[in-house]
Amino acid sequence: MSVIEYDVIVIGAGAAGLTAAAWLAEQKLRVALVTAGEPTACLSTGCIDVCSRSDQPLHGIAGLPDEHPFHRVSPETLKQALEDFRRMMADMDMPYEGTLEENRLVLSAIGTFKTTCLVPATMHASPQSDEEKIHLITFTGLKDFYPGYLLSRLRNASFSSYDAGVSTTMGIAAHFEDRAFLETFLLWLERQNIREDKIAFPAVLGLESSSFVLNQIESRLERPVFEIPTLPPSMPGRRLFNVMKDHLRRRGGVIYWNWPVVGVEKSGRQIEAVTTEAQGRPNSLNARAFILATGSFVGGGLYANRDRIVEKVFNLPVFAPENRDDWFEQDYFSMNHGIGQAGIPVDEAFCPQGSPWNNIFVCGSILARTETLKNGCGHGFAIATGRAAARSCLERLK
Amino acid sequence: MIKTDVIIIGGGATGCGIARDLALRGIPHCLIEKGDFAAGATGACHGLLHSGGRYAVSDPIAAKECFDENMILRRIGEKCVERTGGLFVRLPGDSKLFRERFLRSCDDIGIPTEILSSTKALELVPNLNPEIEEAIRVPDCSIDPFRLCLLNMKTSQMKGGLSFIRHRVTEIVQSHGRCIGVKATDAATGEVKEIHGNILVNASGAWADLVARLAGCEVPLTLSKGSLVITNHRLTDMVINRLRPSSDGDIIVPNEAVCLAGTTSLAVEDPDALSTQSAEVDAIISEAGRMIPHFNRARIIRAFSGVRPLLRSQKMDSREISRGFQIIDHQNGLYSIVGGKLTTFRLMAEKMVDTIMNAFNLKHDCETADQPLDGQEELSGYPLSKRLANMKNILCECELVSRGSVEKIIQETGTRHVGDISHRTRLGMGPCQGGFCTFRALGVMHDMEVLTAQQSMQSLREFLQRRFRGIRYALWGDQLREEQLVEYIYLGILAMEKTRERH
Repeated sequence: MSVIEYDVIVIGAGAAGLTAAAWLAEQKLRVALVTAGEPTACLSTGCIDVCSRSDQPLHGIAGLPDEHPFHRVSPETLKQALEDFRRMMADMDMPYEGTLEENRLVLSAIGTFKTTCLVPATMHASPQSDEEKIHLITFTGLKDFYPGYLLSRLRNASFSSYDAGVSTTMGIAAHFEDRAFLETFLLWLERQNIREDKIAFPAVLGLESSSFVLNQIESRLERPVFEIPTLPPSMPGRRLFNVMKDHLRRRGGVIYWNWPVVGVEKSGRQIEAVTTEAQGRPNSLNARAFILATGSFVGGGLYANRDRIVEKVFNLPVFAPENRDDWFEQDYFSMNHGIGQAGIPVDEAFCPQGSPWNNIFVCGSILARTETLKNGCGHGFAIATGRAAARSCLERLK
Repeated sequence: MIKTDVIIIGGGATGCGIARDLALRGIPHCLIEKGDFAAGATGACHGLLHSGGRYAVSDPIAAKECFDENMILRRIGEKCVERTGGLFVRLPGDSKLFRERFLRSCDDIGIPTEILSSTKALELVPNLNPEIEEAIRVPDCSIDPFRLCLLNMKTSQMKGGLSFIRHRVTEIVQSHGRCIGVKATDAATGEVKEIHGNILVNASGAWADLVARLAGCEVPLTLSKGSLVITNHRLTDMVINRLRPSSDGDIIVPNEAVCLAGTTSLAVEDPDALSTQSAEVDAIISEAGRMIPHFNRARIIRAFSGVRPLLRSQKMDSREISRGFQIIDHQNGLYSIVGGKLTTFRLMAEKMVDTIMNAFNLKHDCETADQPLDGQEELSGYPLSKRLANMKNILCECELVSRGSVEKIIQETGTRHVGDISHRTRLGMGPCQGGFCTFRALGVMHDMEVLTAQQSMQSLREFLQRRFRGIRYALWGDQLREEQLVEYIYLGILAMEKTRERH
């Protein structure tokens, strides 16, 4: 068994964990991030939802219930975290648009409008009403994108479809990385004689080169082009996380990919190390502090047994509706299922409440009472709490 | 107006069995069903083709009927009956006296039994609780109730019988005190069809009283709700019963790639207002877990309830009511056939059609026990080879259903209901319970122009609500995790809750 020493170990590779790890690495700490695998946040739209319950994110946050963890993040920290995020993404050639002053709308794959705060530049031209004149390009046989759903809700939309010879978003995105494919496609597109004001695509315009592909189409057709986020696997989600991952590595952070944490070593009130398993070999990763950013149920940070909900790494005390019958409401679309409140309650310093350990900090959607869907507290909340928990961790280590 | 001889109301196993029987005796008929085939108790049962063992002690007559029908169905339905065999397992503490009565009753009825040591039983079913005292082997089988209905309807269709699914009978037409026809409303279009016939057969199961009332008649029923859970794996290749008087959670049946366990028994009033309770789910799991311990850790993909339509008696616990069936002649051209069970559907149909033949003085003996079920080749089981043959464009990853097979069903049936596709292809029957593929199937239905874009959207909404009712009481562990992802897709990525704003 090998033993490696760090200042801080971050567990979880979602927006919260990557933000916390990168910021701590920038503060010249020795940082490692361990993750059981690809973060579920790769499945996301790539949009940065801060708080979508109001037209203005800050106003929305102010209206959250008193016990909501967003109140533990100061407005300055939130602003700083999002500004840094935007700068970082622009530096990495994956620019984001939007402002904390006002939320914006993104057209969804069924023609509804999703409220969010920052969007990838490929969604910048997304319409803000169902009146806009849009021409939709789809791909023959694409199994997770059906223009019918969109047409049912948009008044002025039409579509045409291109046969790319593959039926998955991944497959088509890979084709767009190929310049010859792009050129053939552009020639076809020009022949379509599109008259609508904007051109929409399912989000398949390349993986690394989405900015380039988008610019090519816009300059050839002389019209704004935008992507519509698709069902997972989602290219915008994947692009976002590839970039955040690269950024962390450039800041000197180490990433242990596919290293699920299987145990902890502790002494007194301190966690000393987490044991992980990779290729069947146990490894101890020692650190002075640990940041838990393992996500909620989908991410695997929480697990619901029939009788109670547990936190998987440190077995921290979990807040949740006590009775299983209260986990879900009858109406699927209520957005108010009790299970959304489940998570780890923390104090002002983002340390878990009622835990015997004093060197654990918690951030992201595993925080109790987040209610990600109901409040629209998505990646923006993760980035903000990731930053705040990291700052608190740094102060503790000083 | 449509004219026929016999109008059958209800597309469960009984109604479909009657249609087949009439077809083989050359009687024109028309079947009307308000949902899909097997939508009531037929589709909400274990899919157990009883050997009769379960009723041997409590109801030897029903047990004998089950045994005889079991033997007939394995013969005529060779390709759709899975000859799993069954075990009655005795756990420590279970009555030895009951065991003696069980063996004696089976012997009297003629149900073959074989006593197995726990070691031998564990060789047959390695997942069994190693603490069982012994097991008694009986000839139980497993059958897919939905497929059974379709196979019966196949014969009806081949002989020119009519059937209308998703048509609700809203009126029984009467003339001079006799029932001469029905009016049925097409759920999709609202169009009303008037169908006239000489005889009306009410085979609507738990809805029998509601239908009979349309003709001013009554059918005294006790409705007993039974709940079941489905695991995502096949934990046993044999039917497992608990060797004790009937009780909650005492049967586990392998079916296709999954296992069903149940049931419970609770009296209910309204067959359209069923809900499953967490306590029932927990009870079934813990009881099934005593026979197969792995049940406690298995992933439950669905929990649902069906209603047993039982003839009313004075006994309080509905499980004690006879499972036998009865034909009620309402003396006005309407007959109701009630009670019975999936295993004896063919016998019920035979007796019903015999009654009709006698009334009209017609001579043609029943042939349903001798002729093999039509169409078994195309509808047989879970032939992975068939599905693996077309791996391109898979719409349902859990059950490997391709876009091509979905398109084929739509072309053949013209269906506008995604549930019809699921029943015929197993689309959406796997662990995600249609969370991913239904969105796709409805998209394909729009592409093929059987649904408008608005209808696809509306169907998707309704599907998600319906699906949630089926999985809500079985959400924990990995199933909850998957469900949270599905919820994130529809509400987080697609903002589906906003479709409410405008229609």
